[in-house]
Amino acid sequence: MSTSPETIDLRALRRRQPRFSGMDPGHRACQGCGQSLAAHIVTEAAGPDVIVANATGCLEVFSTPWPQTAWRIPWIHSLFENTAALAAGIETALKQQGRPTKVLAFAGDGGTFDIGFQTLSGMIERGHNVLYVCFDNEAYMNTGVQRSSSTPHAAATTTSPAGRVRPGKRHLKKDLLAIIAAHHLPYAATATVAYPGDIKAKVRRAMAIEGPSFLMIHAPCPLGWMHGPELTIKVARAGVETGLTPIIELERGEVVSVLPIREKKPVTEYLRLQGRFRHLLGDDPVAVEERTHLQALADHNIETYGLLAREGDLRDSLSAALVRRGGAIR
Amino acid sequence: MNADESASLARAAAALPGSSLDYDVGSWREQRPVHHHRPAPCHTRCPAGEDPQAYIQKVQEGDLEGAWATIVAVNPLPAVTGRICPHPCEDGCNRGHFDEPLNIHGIERFLGDLAVTEGWRLEVPPLAEDAPEVAIVGAGPAGLAAAWHLRRAGVRPVLFDRYPVAGGLLRTAIPLYRLPRRVLDAELERLFDAGIAFRRQTKLGRDLFLNELEQDYDAVILAPGLQKPRPWSVDGAAPGDLRYGLSLLEEWIDVGAAPLEGKVVVVHGGGNTAVDVARMAIRAGAREVHLVTTRALPGAADAVGPEDHMQAFPREVRQAVEEGVIIHPHTTPTRLIIRGARLRAVELAAVRAFRDDRGRTRRVAFEGTERVIPAEVVIPATGEVVDPEGIEMLPRWRDYLASDRFGRIEGRPGLFAAGDASGRGGSVSAALGDGRRAAMAVLLHLRRITGLPEGESEAVPVEALQLYYFDRAPRREPEARPAAERIRDEKEIEPGLEAGEFALEAQRCFSCGNCLACDNCWNLCPDFAVLKTPEPLADGSFYVFDYAFCKGCGLCAAECPTAFIEMVDELPAG
Repeated sequence: MSTSPETIDLRALRRRQPRFSGMDPGHRACQGCGQSLAAHIVTEAAGPDVIVANATGCLEVFSTPWPQTAWRIPWIHSLFENTAALAAGIETALKQQGRPTKVLAFAGDGGTFDIGFQTLSGMIERGHNVLYVCFDNEAYMNTGVQRSSSTPHAAATTTSPAGRVRPGKRHLKKDLLAIIAAHHLPYAATATVAYPGDIKAKVRRAMAIEGPSFLMIHAPCPLGWMHGPELTIKVARAGVETGLTPIIELERGEVVSVLPIREKKPVTEYLRLQGRFRHLLGDDPVAVEERTHLQALADHNIETYGLLAREGDLRDSLSAALVRRGGAIR
Repeated sequence: MNADESASLARAAAALPGSSLDYDVGSWREQRPVHHHRPAPCHTRCPAGEDPQAYIQKVQEGDLEGAWATIVAVNPLPAVTGRICPHPCEDGCNRGHFDEPLNIHGIERFLGDLAVTEGWRLEVPPLAEDAPEVAIVGAGPAGLAAAWHLRRAGVRPVLFDRYPVAGGLLRTAIPLYRLPRRVLDAELERLFDAGIAFRRQTKLGRDLFLNELEQDYDAVILAPGLQKPRPWSVDGAAPGDLRYGLSLLEEWIDVGAAPLEGKVVVVHGGGNTAVDVARMAIRAGAREVHLVTTRALPGAADAVGPEDHMQAFPREVRQAVEEGVIIHPHTTPTRLIIRGARLRAVELAAVRAFRDDRGRTRRVAFEGTERVIPAEVVIPATGEVVDPEGIEMLPRWRDYLASDRFGRIEGRPGLFAAGDASGRGGSVSAALGDGRRAAMAVLLHLRRITGLPEGESEAVPVEALQLYYFDRAPRREPEARPAAERIRDEKEIEPGLEAGEFALEAQRCFSCGNCLACDNCWNLCPDFAVLKTPEPLADGSFYVFDYAFCKGCGLCAAECPTAFIEMVDELPAG
């Protein structure tokens, strides 16, 4: 039996989808927004029995333009700096009431690496049963692409422009995960929108943990990174395959698994897709040096985490995205 | 929200619950994604018009009978073509740019054999009392295909053949080791059971005449094949006991013997018949078999162009060499050395093709390159022409019946030509396709359809696919029996796929240009604007775009593994 798309009641069909969705469309995210995709995947995997505390940032702004909301789950907006504290408070109250609802905290890299870092540290240290998700798009996108401590070295932002004096951001991307790991929390992981199945598996794992967990999702921003909106997945994937975006899992601060790279690519494969690195693609000595520096950083990641695939690996950067008729291959 | 509510909201710092579903982000869009079926290269390359992607999709879905039904809706003889077609589909297969092409012929053959084992029947509509009748001369692949497509359309076909059994060159020229006759018989029996009349041992120009057929039938299709060997000699000389390749082959297939035992044999020709004759000579016990051709080996780099390659299937040439045939490419016989009435030796010389400034090919035999090979038998297999008996009055194009792509003969409405006799053959699949097109033209002539199909649009190129969603997987193809063993009997030399291998091989298909139902668009849309449907849609997919919320980012199209989603410009509003 076949149906023509014109005869379908789409609103009704939307409510009969064979998966849960914590968000509705009509939100105001830019075309190809990686953060919107990541939030969608996280809420699908977390399910309906959650309360979300959401720091100021793109996600908060684009999902709740007054008087509308895209959220289909309980959701509260906090300041930039106190999402983790808010989540900790909700969690404590729920615990007092004996309710099993899981508390999620959502924030961008600005709200996590920089402004909300202190409350995040406190939340983990006190052992609250909260899954904290950082959507890492590597700059303050909502306010106009200002550099954050998550912005990669040599990337151009409005406050670290590429010019004659300096080729983009002078400093390195903060190794936040190492700081999180130092809290010896039960579970921390990185993920990327290039591998939705991997995000879901990690969210489900974190949901099952009694105690603090931390998930950092690499989420390309077409506007801030200056790439076509259709390239979000390709950019994210190139981050993994070059070694610039290590996909790893930590338990009590120790690396317990990584997503190995099947075919390692040079960092230029990642850089050339994005306008924020355009100044690094030329033959001038500064560009060559910075490119080489970024390659060295990628190689350092690969060495530190053992990211090259070996014979017998059950899962790697290729197999984690494979599809066939009927859906993804798990 | 009504006016009173919004007035109170303006004073109160609270909002009534409103959903972003009420907001039109679709208006942001400059381009929209659409499902766009494009033919897979296996389909555009198939001379018979089969769509392997479509039937392999059914195999992937577990519907084997549906897969077989998809094939026979085009080609009623899949167990035959699965064995003997040179499968140009596989040369086109995009998987060939990734690891190895799909074993499409193996899948087709498996389904064809399964249908015979399971006794699956061909579905046809009942024939009306006054159904038009169409005469088809020649029960070879082209005639059979034409009959089948007419019968499917409710027309009564009547096949005429000079032989007592149908099959044409499938029966008289294809060696048994390539096509066991039980396979041919089973598929032909099923085809005739579907309601096709067969008049055996009825030869045009002897037992019946064209004007009678044209009077008695609503249309006539001529598909007599090529029966007459092209006259052959070397500078006017030929041995007195000369036998042509095709007739030797026919006799050998029929009675199982050929008078070549212990002889040194030279076969002249570079087509499939020449190769089959050479392999027959090996099996008939010839001491030495030489194949002399003015062409280059298939795919050889020293050819001046594709027309300079042997017009034989590479697989068959390879197997002939394995079996001991000595091939002399770019060589021509320049003299026959005959003592008395008997051939003693053949003089050969090197020959090369040149293209003149008008693009025509000219062949030159080089003086001083002559050599002599002792030989007792020379067998010409340099091509056949249409037997003119009964159709002398029809227009010709070179050695063939002149007709257009759909077999229509100029100035003779109601008369059609198909298959090798039309010059559009060359392989069983080409003849099947030609017969099908002639049937279409007949249906148009009978006003049962309103138009003929356009040519297929361009196939999906490999560059359009997102290959990183697929893993490498080896092609599954059973090995042919060893040469030393297979030349001693007539048993089939290439085994078919086992059931497990068949299923794994079908899984390798990319589904180029068609929905793979992989969920990528559904999973990766940042705007939740792709919805999954419980039933397949008319376009074969399980997904629908909710344009109210699609912002036109293009992510779904960029990540569609099979290039089934395309971005098209929005028309300006108003």
